[in-house]
Amino acid sequence: MTAETRAAPSSSRRRHRRQDVLAALPWLLPALLLIMAIVLFPAGFMAWTSTREMSTVGVDQGSAGLGNFTALLDFPGLRRVLLNTVIWVVGVVAVTLVISMGLAQFLDKAFPGRRLVRLAVIVPWAASVVMTAIVFYYGLDPFYGVINHFLVDIGLLDGTFGFTRRPVPAFLVSMTVAVFVSLPFTTYTILAGLQMVPGDLIEAARVDGAGALRTYRSVTLPILRPAIAVAVLINIINVFNSLPILRTITGSIPGHQADTTTTLIFKFIQQYRQIDTASALSVLNFAIVLAVIGVYLALVKPMRQD
Amino acid sequence: MKRPTSTVAIAAATVLALSSCGFGERSGTDDGEATTLSLLVPTYSDNTTPLWEEIIADFEAQHEDITVTLEVQSWDNINDVIRTKVQSNDAPDILNIDAFAGFAADDLLYSVEDVVSPETLADFQDSFAANASIDGTMYGLPLIASARTMFYNTDLFDQAGVAEPPSTWDELLDTATKIDALGDDIYGYGMPLGSEEAQAETSIWTFGNGGSWTDGEEITVLTPENLEAVEYMKSVIDAGVTQPDPGATDRTPMFDVFIAGKMGMVEGLPPTVGQIAERNPDLNYDTAPIPTKDGSPMTLGVADHLMAFKNDGTKQDAITAFLDFFFSQDVYTKFVDTEGFLPTTKSGADALADKEEIASFLEALPNAQFYPSTHPKWSATQGAIQSLIGQIGQGSDPEAVLTEIQNTVDAP
Amino acid sequence: MATEATATTTPGRANRTSETTVWQHRTRRRQGTPRWMMALAGAVIALVFLAPYLIMVIGSFKRRSEILGIPPTYLPTEWVPSNYLTMWSTPETPLPYNMVSTIVISVGGTLLVLAVALPAAYYTARHRFPGKWVFLLLVLITQMLQPTVLAAGLFRQFQAAGIYDTWLAMILVNGAFNLSFAVWIMHSFFAGVPREVEEAAMMDGATKLQILRLVTLPLVWPGIVTAVIFAFVASWNEFAASLVILTTAENQPLSVAITKFVGQYDSAWQYVFGVSIVGIVPVVILFAIVEKRLVAGLTAGAVK
Repeated sequence: MTAETRAAPSSSRRRHRRQDVLAALPWLLPALLLIMAIVLFPAGFMAWTSTREMSTVGVDQGSAGLGNFTALLDFPGLRRVLLNTVIWVVGVVAVTLVISMGLAQFLDKAFPGRRLVRLAVIVPWAASVVMTAIVFYYGLDPFYGVINHFLVDIGLLDGTFGFTRRPVPAFLVSMTVAVFVSLPFTTYTILAGLQMVPGDLIEAARVDGAGALRTYRSVTLPILRPAIAVAVLINIINVFNSLPILRTITGSIPGHQADTTTTLIFKFIQQYRQIDTASALSVLNFAIVLAVIGVYLALVKPMRQD
Repeated sequence: MKRPTSTVAIAAATVLALSSCGFGERSGTDDGEATTLSLLVPTYSDNTTPLWEEIIADFEAQHEDITVTLEVQSWDNINDVIRTKVQSNDAPDILNIDAFAGFAADDLLYSVEDVVSPETLADFQDSFAANASIDGTMYGLPLIASARTMFYNTDLFDQAGVAEPPSTWDELLDTATKIDALGDDIYGYGMPLGSEEAQAETSIWTFGNGGSWTDGEEITVLTPENLEAVEYMKSVIDAGVTQPDPGATDRTPMFDVFIAGKMGMVEGLPPTVGQIAERNPDLNYDTAPIPTKDGSPMTLGVADHLMAFKNDGTKQDAITAFLDFFFSQDVYTKFVDTEGFLPTTKSGADALADKEEIASFLEALPNAQFYPSTHPKWSATQGAIQSLIGQIGQGSDPEAVLTEIQNTVDAP
Repeated sequence: MATEATATTTPGRANRTSETTVWQHRTRRRQGTPRWMMALAGAVIALVFLAPYLIMVIGSFKRRSEILGIPPTYLPTEWVPSNYLTMWSTPETPLPYNMVSTIVISVGGTLLVLAVALPAAYYTARHRFPGKWVFLLLVLITQMLQPTVLAAGLFRQFQAAGIYDTWLAMILVNGAFNLSFAVWIMHSFFAGVPREVEEAAMMDGATKLQILRLVTLPLVWPGIVTAVIFAFVASWNEFAASLVILTTAENQPLSVAITKFVGQYDSAWQYVFGVSIVGIVPVVILFAIVEKRLVAGLTAGAVK
């Protein structure tokens, strides 16, 4: 097809282009309509709100120009929050990826009970993230939490520890929970990718004397690349926008030392009643994630069909 | 492949056809003669929803041309829900929530005298009515009131050799030290500064020093009295006589520690009495007035309000009928009594005068000081205190924290 | 069709699923971990993944007063299985209605995603046209926007259209926000189907739609299953938008209903945990049913 279009004169190429677009329309139209109506309109509303002055109960009071954005930049804890966000995204995605790769490798092998283990790995994905976070919050409570108590009983702790009461431990616990709930999806994506690796290639490498790690690096990994790329992309977006885990586990901690940009947006809305600043931060948040994804796509080109 | 596809198609069509229904009814506008009122309330306990449903059923029986649709949300969610509704110009007709000043400032509410009869209006107790008014116009209908009083564990007091409950701050610190020394898992004084209700605990201390959150015009967080109070709070924390990590401990889970008998003193509310009776009836405890700087009596008064939104202005009569019905002595008394709170009407107070559980609270009420909830910036202030004050329990300097709160409130 | 495809494949992973083949493999390799050790490792892994939910299950059998007891008990001193009966008729929420709402919204949302994403993914994988990458990028961008922050705009919109507080509104929301992942996953699977197979069918005189249904779909089945599962689970557990858009108690899904048990002064944790378990079990069962097909589909998809 490519050769044909290249050979054609420019005017009919333009005609071809228009025809191509028109031919595509019926297939794409439902998706486009759904996206415009349900996503783009409210997003536009949010962007609009970021330039308005809103009262504490949500009544529009006129234009604020860029005032919300400058107020945002003056926010004292912003630098720490941005740093937290970077640590949060990079840490959770990286750890999830590494563990998933190992776990997928393991689940690919045949052993008795494999089906049940695979089913167990699915459960954190089946459960709502809020519920998983609540169980951890409840279990780590210093007074009535069973997990906290267990750690004392087996001697790892001297007395119950306020995991959910101090910024840094609570942040680390949140990261652990985030990894926990991201593992099922990532593991299964890589597992599906592993099915594409031809067994005889692995055999050939083994016969040639390559060790397990070398085989993995030179044979398996390149073929896994698209699966890994998709998994990382989806994970970056989800982890960046993740709210329930941090909110549940660090929710009772004062100040902003355990906040990411997303949780900060909600604090602006729900605690400080500054809906306009929150919208400004949402716009900023969106710009950041867009930039990150843009850089990632440019570097990795996961859609390249080779 | 043919069969699966058509099955899918039929399933999809059925779902889409069903989906434009839903079980419930949407709140609608006037439908000829009948009026529909929408009521949005939070849950205080298990009893809240059945109470409202019964009230609505009785009301609708008496007023056949008015229907009331009820929406119940938890306290966690109700602020989000009402904010979204207001932002979308779809506020309910009647709302039950704590702060109304923001809505009044945006001119969204009826004044109370427009939506109740003069008899009902006169029935509200004066202090509550004053607290529900802005510049002389009453916008909130005081629904339930709460006060605080100190609960203390008499067994622990005996063990520590403390004869009388403390009435000043210094006595409090002394008592707490003695009780905390009793054991590793025994705590002297419970100070919940977690984001659930840190403003209550903080206000107990600042009001107890004669401080206030407003000078009448502006919200004033960093005043000498407030600062002195917060500094004293920090010294209590630093003395190690509170539960661990007070800055991040929420009130509700902390009460569980008291109910389990491991805490010397806490500032409790009326429902606490019922909770203790239900969970640990063997607990030996008593109540006493809250200790203040110099021992003079004070309590924190909290009131939640009903309020009526103007919306399109067509439902004033229906709203009046409902509110008059609700605040009539029998209906209102039953509501307040079942929920375990303090009545805000004179007739309610008469009916519940003999209720033992709330006796100590009723006694303290004349000295109640309220949050400045009529100030439009109060809910933001409350949020800022909840979110930031706990930092004193994590080593931050009180003056810096109060300044941070003030700056958050003053932000444009 | 699928079985024919497997027969022509070169010996690969697809053939390693039978017991004897694996055993033969193992004897050829010098280093082989004993099967029982792997089973043990598998058990440990399963335990780690299930631990929090075991806490939930145990908690759902405790009496309210015991759940908040200090110090906590590991096992209930008194098992209260009646929690699972009483939870259906509590004053806090009409649980049977919540269950129905959850099912309708999830099934509807998933079907919508399927109906909309499938043609779009198929066409963009198979053709080039101006704006193709713009479309795909647009779809990706929607993944980055969360229903939570957009709730006010969504509410206003549905209210103007007169459909807020209906299942239809939530079906549209779930359909839209799960579109992105479905399109991308199915796109990559469609792109992986060799053209020769389709061209052969075209030469036999099949129409485009017939080719799609009879040739391509069986080969991309695992991608579709993955997209369906993802959309279903996301819709099942969706919370933020449901909270704002569905206001009548009977219309609210399980995710919102659970929060009703957490009151201002007291919480019914045993119901919080119990209802959560009730919410998890159907999804796990669904996955158990589908997993067989997923694995078979995955191995059949090893055609290249």
